Amino acid sequence: MKNYSFYKGRSAFWYLIIIGFTLSGTPALANKLPRQMQSPHQQNQINGTVTDGTNPLPGVTISIKGKRNSTVSSDFNGQYILSATATDTLLVSFIGFKTAIVPIRGRKIVNVQLQEDITSLQEVRVNAGYYTVKESERTGSIAKISSKDIEKQPVTNILAAMQGRMAGVSITQETGVPGGGFNINIRGVNSLRTDGNAPLYIIDGVPYSSDPISYRQTSTTIPGESNPLNSINPSDIENLEILKDADATAIYGSRGANGVVLITTKKGKAGVTSFTINTSHATSTVTRMLDMMNTQQYLKMRRQAFANDGITTYPSNAYDVNGTWDQNRYTDWQKELTGGTADILSMQGTVSGGSEQTRFLLSGNYRTESTVFPGDFLYKKGGAHLSLDHKSESNKFRISFSGGYTAQKNDLPWTDLTLLSRNLAPNAPALYDAQGNLNWENSTWQNPLSNLEGKNRSETHDLVASTLMTFQLAKGIEFKSSFGFTDLSSDASRTAPSTMYNPAYNYGSEYSSIFKNTLGRQSWIVEPQLNWHSAFGRAEIDVLLGSTFQNQQTKTRIEEASGFTSNSLIYDLTSASYLSVESDEMLVYKYQAFYGRFNYTFSNKYILNLTGRRDGSSRFGPGKQFANFGAIGAAWLFYREKWIENNVSFLSFGKLRGSYGTTGNDQIGDYQFLDTYSSSGYEYQGLHGLQPLRLYNPNFGWETNKKLEAAFELGFLKDRVMLTTAWYQNRSSNQLVGLPLPGTTGFTTIQSNLDATVQNNGLEITLRTINIQKPNFNWTTSFNLSVAKNKLLSFPGLEGSPYKNDYVIGQPLTIRKLFHSTGINPQTGIYEFADINGDGQISYADDRETVRNFSPKYFGGLHNQFTYKGWQLDFLFQFVKQLNFNFASTQGYAGTFRNQPAEIVNSWTQPGDNAQYQIYTTGVNQEAMQASEYYAESDAAVSDASYIRLKNISLSYDLPQEWLKIMHCKISLQAQNIFTITSYKGADPEFREAGFLPPLRIVSAGFQFTF
Amino acid sequence: MNQEIYIFVKRNKTMLFTAWLVALCGILFSCDSFVDTDQPNSQLTSSAVFESKATAEAAMTDIYAQIRENGIITGKLSGIGNLMGNYSDELIAYETGSYSSEPFYNNSILASNALISSMWNSAYNQIYAANAVINGVDNSITLAVADKSQVKGEALFVRALNHFYLVNIFGDVPYVTATDYKANSVATRMKTIEVYNKVIADLKVAIDLLPQDYVSANRVRPNKATAQALLARVYLYTGAWSEASNMASAVLNNESLYVWDENLDNVFLKESTTTIWQLAPAYEGHNTEEGMVFIFSSGPPPTVALTNALMSSFTAGDLRKSHWTLAVTDGTDTWYHAFKYKEKTDTGATTEYSIIFRLAEQYLIRAEARAQQGDLIGAKEDLNKIRHTAGLTDTSADNASDIVDAIIKERRLEFFTEHGQRFFDLKRTGKLDAVLGDKLGWNSNDSLWPLPQSELQVNPYLKPQNPGY
Repeated sequence: MKNYSFYKGRSAFWYLIIIGFTLSGTPALANKLPRQMQSPHQQNQINGTVTDGTNPLPGVTISIKGKRNSTVSSDFNGQYILSATATDTLLVSFIGFKTAIVPIRGRKIVNVQLQEDITSLQEVRVNAGYYTVKESERTGSIAKISSKDIEKQPVTNILAAMQGRMAGVSITQETGVPGGGFNINIRGVNSLRTDGNAPLYIIDGVPYSSDPISYRQTSTTIPGESNPLNSINPSDIENLEILKDADATAIYGSRGANGVVLITTKKGKAGVTSFTINTSHATSTVTRMLDMMNTQQYLKMRRQAFANDGITTYPSNAYDVNGTWDQNRYTDWQKELTGGTADILSMQGTVSGGSEQTRFLLSGNYRTESTVFPGDFLYKKGGAHLSLDHKSESNKFRISFSGGYTAQKNDLPWTDLTLLSRNLAPNAPALYDAQGNLNWENSTWQNPLSNLEGKNRSETHDLVASTLMTFQLAKGIEFKSSFGFTDLSSDASRTAPSTMYNPAYNYGSEYSSIFKNTLGRQSWIVEPQLNWHSAFGRAEIDVLLGSTFQNQQTKTRIEEASGFTSNSLIYDLTSASYLSVESDEMLVYKYQAFYGRFNYTFSNKYILNLTGRRDGSSRFGPGKQFANFGAIGAAWLFYREKWIENNVSFLSFGKLRGSYGTTGNDQIGDYQFLDTYSSSGYEYQGLHGLQPLRLYNPNFGWETNKKLEAAFELGFLKDRVMLTTAWYQNRSSNQLVGLPLPGTTGFTTIQSNLDATVQNNGLEITLRTINIQKPNFNWTTSFNLSVAKNKLLSFPGLEGSPYKNDYVIGQPLTIRKLFHSTGINPQTGIYEFADINGDGQISYADDRETVRNFSPKYFGGLHNQFTYKGWQLDFLFQFVKQLNFNFASTQGYAGTFRNQPAEIVNSWTQPGDNAQYQIYTTGVNQEAMQASEYYAESDAAVSDASYIRLKNISLSYDLPQEWLKIMHCKISLQAQNIFTITSYKGADPEFREAGFLPPLRIVSAGFQFTF
Repeated sequence: MNQEIYIFVKRNKTMLFTAWLVALCGILFSCDSFVDTDQPNSQLTSSAVFESKATAEAAMTDIYAQIRENGIITGKLSGIGNLMGNYSDELIAYETGSYSSEPFYNNSILASNALISSMWNSAYNQIYAANAVINGVDNSITLAVADKSQVKGEALFVRALNHFYLVNIFGDVPYVTATDYKANSVATRMKTIEVYNKVIADLKVAIDLLPQDYVSANRVRPNKATAQALLARVYLYTGAWSEASNMASAVLNNESLYVWDENLDNVFLKESTTTIWQLAPAYEGHNTEEGMVFIFSSGPPPTVALTNALMSSFTAGDLRKSHWTLAVTDGTDTWYHAFKYKEKTDTGATTEYSIIFRLAEQYLIRAEARAQQGDLIGAKEDLNKIRHTAGLTDTSADNASDIVDAIIKERRLEFFTEHGQRFFDLKRTGKLDAVLGDKLGWNSNDSLWPLPQSELQVNPYLKPQNPGY
């Protein structure tokens, strides 16, 4: 990945002015120079500007050759100042550029133009967790995005910024409700456990638990759990790496099976102290609505449904058709309840600077996000980030500290109104009466806005701090240790005050209730390591030995209270007449590991990388706690071979690499191996009940994941074209699952190892081209494509297991077994299905044999970047080829007191009809209702949900410096989820959880000031 | 290359030594069993639970709390008091949606119905808990014999109670007597008659183990008579008339505990002397879930109301109509709700508990069993006891068949909205189709509810689904 200068792409006007200004002073000074050159050893003030040929470069290191402690950095204008003698030579270096050696030759003003180091892309060091490795020399599969990409996207969660940018990484947003969850799969689904597929997140060396913090009853973000990465401010992130193959992940052993996400936060740069302020305002709206019936269509459906059912007198509770409600009224409930505009305000300030020895960065941010629902709901997030780096004069001791604190306050309605908005009859009454109060229309409906009376509040405070100390013991030997600490506290509540209910029922505050969930999670980690580097002859060796000690403690307390003296006291549990502590527990997770890496490089061409880890986890029973993991990786940099260099001149880079190894997974929750009772939270005659906590199985152990990878990396035309092709195959076996059980066992699940093997394989292609590279105009394109396949290789005893109806050997885990729809019986008007076992009836257990796979066939992204003078334009297309359930899977049978998609008007009404949808029923035609349910689980309810989406577009402009003398100003316009091309019959094709608020379209405008 | 490695080792002796030292430290540290954790403070091992009386009782009484909150006979909307009331001819549903009483009222429930699966899962969860208590008590060394008998007797009673309701609701069901999940996860359907035999066997043991007197105030834990009361009902349902009659007599003869009360307003109070077993509320001051569900103060009703069919079946002067139902009107329309329990909301001190078994049923069981055996005088005597309390005159029926019909009619008026008594009466007397045939969604397959679809999904051995689903 390229590490671009921040100031690249600045307006030509701007630097011309600067250079012009600088040059204008030069001749005059230059004339005086010879006279002042009396003594060659006299210290003179030297100043000048460093540019990349177009723009000034800040943060460039300028030192005097052969002189210690002479280093300075250029300021944000690219200007520097230092003392030197006339005969000194300057060394000017900056990452991504070739180091310039500039003799002073008596000058007082020395302007330097640095040459971009084209091959430096391969020289950038990539973070591999416990070590870093040069991009060119890495043996593992590591994908990376940097702050350059992140800052272009107006998103709250870093995962949203990664969508479509990384090969092999599939991310779906689970809800458009602010603070909501994401689903991330790195190279497919490995585990049969749906909650066992999260990657390991590491922030500045500290593992960050992905265990959910929300509780069902107090969850703000239905569906899905809120994502732990909400606590990380995307703009504090400098780099994010994803480790994918065994070579990269085996050093994380038991926790690496699903990939590792490494987050490195921003650090200070030496030089003049700079202040940066970012501010932006965005609005967001729902991307697509479902086309629903209008009043006329709806009432026609209802009347037909009653006629079909043989009901001639409309029942007294059929208010929509029996004349109680106005039959000419029409409300577009989707527009009314989810059609709002959410505002996002964001502000961030950063101070950074320091000397060569000590650098610092301090930033603070604040962001608010409202919802598309009616009512005043707000998601507030604020935080601070501090980074300090110090190194001793001798460079033998280095210490760096990084700390981040985030506070989130989310205030949401107690339920997502999306499904409701699609169910309400279009002629349902007005929301408010003439007095402006909620209208209950004589108790004939549940006013949807009454849901807004119930509040879902959550407050999360999160601290992540880490310190890394490094001592150089001897030449090539370093001892380092990282210390990390995380502290998370979360307080969530969900209220149901009596004001939610129809006032006619006379429910007072004695009916009000609240669920409260408080959680505190602390963890510490210590990782002492020893690094050794040595070169002898043509060989280079890197050895790393380390160990990890980690302890995590989670305290949760869930309370339920009801019956308040007043609704304004609902948050005060002491005012409740009934208070029950449903759960009050402390969970401890301990983890210990020893790991090592041995890297051998010969002749800069052949690289061998061995990694291994021995892991112990408290999540397993006695005797099962420890397991070993390891990997071997190798790379051959064949472009450095003489015969290639001599014969294939257009090839500027070439590498073949491969790896094989094992990783594991311990995401199973704590204490699952114990046979215990715990308090049920219920009371009986003053006695608190004890209930069996789980079915227990003391014998479950580690799940292992074997990963194989081969990749080919090529660079052409001085690396202007870079192509990486990777093939991988992961096999996970000894699957650890929460085995679903029938209710007759008393429980619905048990932890156990299954003798099943799952294989994920795929191909990942990444192409990056620099199409045009001119002083004023640049155009680069990156493209990534992932083709993934998932397969259940073996599963002894599948036929007699609870998974019989879910999985098929040889098929992916992401399949669903479905009925095969054979159309509508023209006589009865009811859906018909293929009777697979030929027993004359359609049964759920035996006739669902049509298999559909719901994991994407392939997905990827196309990113283009144009820079012209101060302008920069980026756009990213994301594409996915996949199937998904359409609206038929959520809408239920048509004809009841709830609205339906407009398409359903094409329904069967009389014998002989050749309609697309079956007969309406008000809820008494059991056969039709059953058929409708089967239809929802048939191949007819699955449709192509492939899409191409303009995921992100970003346009920025650096204001010419002459306009604002004292500062830089950048204006940007950004948008997310702009448009989507799809044939999907439903709301949003990206979205898997039908019936909930999909990801929103966000349009944002922002300013950045630097001074 | 070997040469190079040799040189390398020589040159780097210090470093290798340090590495070895660090590794050694690490291994020593690991012997400390860093990853061993203590048992969490909120959990108790299963064996420890059954070491003391207090914790063993906490494990047992928790099952009653579960029955009160989640089970088949919970007084909440999800219990059969409401659902079977809708499913038969007692209640009319006003709420709509698949997770409501509506599909039950329409007699068009689907196998995927969430209320059905949660009812099934809760029942078997309570059965598991009861089996775990039985195992725990059997294996306990420290528990006193009397305590063991008490707790085990209660657990057997609970196991029988749940299976009794399961077999009546779902037909053939697995009878689960162990905690082994491997066996239970491949459970198959057991013939109804065998399920009944096991229910009877469990109840007989329970009757032996349980003491005559209640071990707790307010009759909230079952005693011997509670198990006898259920057994009497089981015998009635299976047509074992003489056993039914004897078992009911065993309860009724226990006059030191059970005293007939002529005042209808006392029957559902927590101190009622006609109560055999009732469930304690969630907390002091709370009243019954039934009161919460059925009582409403303005129309149209928010959830359910009594049907016109039920209201018009009360004859003039039936005190149960005036004491146990209440009319609510908005001026044009009138609705009725069950008013057996008077309290909808919390009161300073709890006045009503959810009653599961009461004396009136034992009289009517004996009446019916006697009539079936030809003891018409005895039958009428028991039936008239109930009628007199309701302010009615003696029954006019005078042959066995008419008396049985009169008893069934009396049961309708006596036990409306009580745990599906009405539906089960129609079912065991073969009158479902005749009585409910007029309901739009009714068909003869509706005598059984579907097995939960989720259950068939994960247990391939539970087949077949009930007919019609």
